[in-house]
Amino acid sequence: MLMMEHAGKCLLKAHGVPVPAGVLIRKSGHVQRWRGAYPVALKAQVSSGGRGKAGGVVRADDAVQAESAAQQLFEREFGGENPASLLMEPWVEHSRELYLSVTVDGQSGGYVILYAPSGGVDVEHQAPHKYTFGSPRDFRAHEFRSVLAPIEQDGALRERIVALARRLLFVATAIDAVTVEINPLAVLPDGKLLALDAKIVRDESAAFRHTDVAHEIERARKREPRMVAKALAGNLMMVGLDGEVGLMSGGAGMTMAAMDMIADAGLKPACFLDCSSNPTPAGYQLAFDVLDAEPKVKAILVSIFGGGTHIDRVAKVMNEIMIKRKSRKPVVFRMNGTGREKADAVMRDAGLHNHPTLESAVDAVVAVVRTQ
Amino acid sequence: MSVLIDAASRVLIYGIAGNFGRFSARDLASYGTKVVAGVAPGRDTRDVEGVPVFQDARAACTTTGANVALVYVPAPAALDAVLEALDAGCKVIVYPGDGLPVQDAVELRAAARRHHAVLIGPNTPGVISPGKSKLGFMPSFCYTPGPLGVISRSGSLSYEAAWRLTTAGLGQTTVIGIGGDPVKGLNAAEALELLHADHETRAILYLGEIGGSDEYAVARYAERPDAKPAAAMIVGAAAPPGKKMGHAAALVESQADSQAAKVEALRKAGVHVADNLRDLVDTAQRAFRQREAVTS
Repeated sequence: MLMMEHAGKCLLKAHGVPVPAGVLIRKSGHVQRWRGAYPVALKAQVSSGGRGKAGGVVRADDAVQAESAAQQLFEREFGGENPASLLMEPWVEHSRELYLSVTVDGQSGGYVILYAPSGGVDVEHQAPHKYTFGSPRDFRAHEFRSVLAPIEQDGALRERIVALARRLLFVATAIDAVTVEINPLAVLPDGKLLALDAKIVRDESAAFRHTDVAHEIERARKREPRMVAKALAGNLMMVGLDGEVGLMSGGAGMTMAAMDMIADAGLKPACFLDCSSNPTPAGYQLAFDVLDAEPKVKAILVSIFGGGTHIDRVAKVMNEIMIKRKSRKPVVFRMNGTGREKADAVMRDAGLHNHPTLESAVDAVVAVVRTQ
Repeated sequence: MSVLIDAASRVLIYGIAGNFGRFSARDLASYGTKVVAGVAPGRDTRDVEGVPVFQDARAACTTTGANVALVYVPAPAALDAVLEALDAGCKVIVYPGDGLPVQDAVELRAAARRHHAVLIGPNTPGVISPGKSKLGFMPSFCYTPGPLGVISRSGSLSYEAAWRLTTAGLGQTTVIGIGGDPVKGLNAAEALELLHADHETRAILYLGEIGGSDEYAVARYAERPDAKPAAAMIVGAAAPPGKKMGHAAALVESQADSQAAKVEALRKAGVHVADNLRDLVDTAQRAFRQREAVTS
């Protein structure tokens, strides 16, 4: 979960990382409330990258300029996103821009610190220097110092970078962030460092120990289309995909494999819907309710290869749901896995056909959609 | 031979008194795996399915000689339970749960390393060496002994793939579920090293997906002059960019994360890549034929 710049900066400030003293603006008229000096920077609060290059950061020398700049920024889109707010900060004169971040690197399976001696909007053109250490407790200032030594000759600056890296690592672990990135990190005329931007990505899996993340996930869920919001509220994993085949599946890999097979057969899946996070009667009932209510869905494919999910139990639930179900959308079943003999018997007794392979199930669902 | 576990493995089930624990105690035993101990802190359960239950892992390992563990606890308790199993001396630990904080995964990976142990997971069905031993909850009937080593990021896809291979008569040495999270105990590169060193594994099948960089580790392996023949299938071609597909790591954020880029890198490295499940078995068989062509 990406935090907006202003929220990220508040967090950094709370942990003793110097940031400019800014205010959040929700309407262009609010710039009149600014009590600080001019010039100022007005910064669009959006989640898409490349904001600086897209003109999302504007300098204003007085209140009149600031208000018209704010008005223009509110009307613009950045990566399809309208800024809901602007961050208004003093314009900071600085001699250099650096890049510094702490992030989790899947390849080495741990934390790394990335540093580039010239940060800012063009940082992607150079590969940053990487210090890999794994567990936060294995960070060693002297090791990072020796990574910096060939790049930064100024010893005082080097020490400030090392100390800030340590601080950012502390922040990352304290708030369960998978990325804490400062770009640009300004070097002020007196040599001190100031975080001019903040990109903090929180780990959604750690929501159980951070109520602010849990609340933000809840708010994000409510912004989803109704079908998806309903599924997510019932602990099903769902992503809307706009096609005609309502795919109800178990496990991320098999859900994607079935999506790919549907796409290869020339149709589009209506969703990625993984029921394995709630393989209960209520969960499957909700999955049918959601897909039955969605007019774009022309037919439903139930594709489950269960390991931890016992499919004989799933088969019983499917039978009960089919008896009560009002919708006439065709349903094609393909279930295999733990308890498959019992499941086959349940399906047979219920007069439901269980396809032996995913291929035949996909072919069948494609055929029913095409004949509609 | 097999990797990670074999017929001599002695299994501890942490969280044996829960639904998954009880099921696994029965299921592993019926596969011929020695389940020697259970742990259920705070419960007064004395035994489950005839397996003695202990209050802590150290007592369980000391008393029963358990040396591998299957840990069924929810994510908020996973860090402590896996650390306990490591401290008790378990050398292979499967943590199947999903939703583990990344920071905890980093910590556990580092801890396993310090203990010269291997953590498999999070977010995995575990590992199975068909006909020998099973440390996980995958459906046993999908597997049969044979010469193919399998590595998978997805549990469900590994059952489907193994069932197809087994039906076609292509057995497996060991099937390793490395899991769908960004930070893994055992990653693809390390799993490949294990299968590479196993003389019974004659070819390797890798089942991957969008997001993350494990697929590029497979490509780097395949480029080695001494690499075993490799086949792969990468799912998620139909997934839109920027949307997380269930697994924490299954997310296309850049071109390199996409299915197409990964397939291209793998093919360039000489890996046989299946287009989808329909040609998976054929593709794995092509990898074997490549091996025979080289050795004959």
